[in-house]
Amino acid sequence: MRNRNHLHRFHSMSAALLGVFFFFAIIGVFGLRWAITALAGFVLGAVVVCVAFPTEDVES
Amino acid sequence: MKLDPSIVARIQFAFTVSFHIIFPTMSIGLASFLAVIEALWLKTKKPIYLEIYKFWLSIFSMGFGIGVVTGIVLSFEFGLGFSRFAQMAGPAIGPLIALEVLTAFFLEAGFLGIMLFGLNRVGPKLHFFATCMVAIGTLLSASWILSANSWMQTPAGVAIQGGHLTVVSWRHVLVNPSWLYRLPHMVTAAYLTASFMVAGVGAWYLLRGKHQHFARRTLALGTAFATVLIAAQVFIGDILYGTMLKHQPSKMQAAEGFWEKQSQSPAPYLWFIVPDQNNQRNRFQLGTPYLGSIWLTHSLDGRVEGLKNTPRDLQPRMGMVFYAFRIMYCSAMVMFAVGVASLWLRFRGTLFSSRWFLWILVFMTPSGIVATLAGWYVAETGRQPWVIYGILKTADAISPVPAPALWSTLVAFVCVYAVFITAFLIFTLRIIRRGPSEVHSYAEASGSLKNAFRPYVLDSPGRLLTTNITQRS
Repeated sequence: MRNRNHLHRFHSMSAALLGVFFFFAIIGVFGLRWAITALAGFVLGAVVVCVAFPTEDVES
Repeated sequence: MKLDPSIVARIQFAFTVSFHIIFPTMSIGLASFLAVIEALWLKTKKPIYLEIYKFWLSIFSMGFGIGVVTGIVLSFEFGLGFSRFAQMAGPAIGPLIALEVLTAFFLEAGFLGIMLFGLNRVGPKLHFFATCMVAIGTLLSASWILSANSWMQTPAGVAIQGGHLTVVSWRHVLVNPSWLYRLPHMVTAAYLTASFMVAGVGAWYLLRGKHQHFARRTLALGTAFATVLIAAQVFIGDILYGTMLKHQPSKMQAAEGFWEKQSQSPAPYLWFIVPDQNNQRNRFQLGTPYLGSIWLTHSLDGRVEGLKNTPRDLQPRMGMVFYAFRIMYCSAMVMFAVGVASLWLRFRGTLFSSRWFLWILVFMTPSGIVATLAGWYVAETGRQPWVIYGILKTADAISPVPAPALWSTLVAFVCVYAVFITAFLIFTLRIIRRGPSEVHSYAEASGSLKNAFRPYVLDSPGRLLTTNITQRS
């Protein structure tokens, strides 16, 4: 159980770091056009996740 | 010890404006958040949204009150500490501040009473209208003030005649080169501040096992808003960086921590420096190889311009600008990481049960305020030694007031503001500790605009005054 929690935490942190790296790399390295595309893609992805996975009613 | 009045005047203004900006940042963000929540309540008629509204309305009102009071002080300080600035820049700055009062303050003052005390007295749609007007008022206020401050950063539309400024184009004064980017940057910062506050309080209740329904809804809303907003903020910030590099190169040179006219190739991205301003070098520096070239020049071997490109007497203090910029930038990175992690946890269905993440959200509650303050320090210390960039130096803008007089007023400000912040923290923490009360929707969403404008009676929930009068007669 403990290992599973640690693994879960590791996955979450990896996802967060990858997301930061991906987004900052695109905005910092590839210039405005790619940054706009990345922003639109990220916002769309975030909205889809927030709408498609409403966790508020899930029993924890 | 002989005190320099220009330093004391700057310390005083820095203290009062730093204290002030915390509260408008919160109120701009919370006002729009409240408008969204009230709209959700009117649309869904779910009492949870009214509960959220009432809870955050109390905190908003305290922050709003302190923000207004501490903002008025700043106008007086133009006379107290910077009268020569007021004398010279008055023709451009004065009307902008007056317009803020005429539009934003009047709008807010007109509708704030209805927003705070009218929930049981007016119909829900009129109340929603009042909330929207207050939210628009806060945005208008930000717009005028950012216009004035951005004009000081990138002055335009004026001519200097006999040591006085004359406005030749109001359009250029208002829409000066940096305003279009600094306004959305600040407004997004305010929204982010509110989002992390809301998410942090929700996380705290979940950790304590209290108010589960309220906590889940606020945490879900807060993290969703924060995730989208931080992505937009990084993007806006990047564009603003390019604009400021063009108009105020010395600020961005100081923010990157390089001294030489051209840095080494490839340039590292510096995370930690010990600057030596007198000898124009870093005593120690720590950075990531190549990253400076990649991020700042978009090439693998690009060179970054250093502060020696700016004449020595026109350089800002590098340490302050560099670390303020790093705090803001690192805060944004952490916020972004938290946003992405929240998406992942939402996807996995464990957003409300991952205690480690809830603790992170609790610690992130004031992160928006920290980042906003750091951003303003970059803007203001990076502009030095100018108060109006390229036109008036800060040292020439100071009032002919002796330093002890400025110290005494500074001490008075510190004492009064200590009372303000103590009262704010005590009452806010008390509201959070008590939690959202069990509220009933006295002003029920009727769906009729006609009924919305009819008054309600405080002690007769859901009943119209007219009905009451008819019954009595």
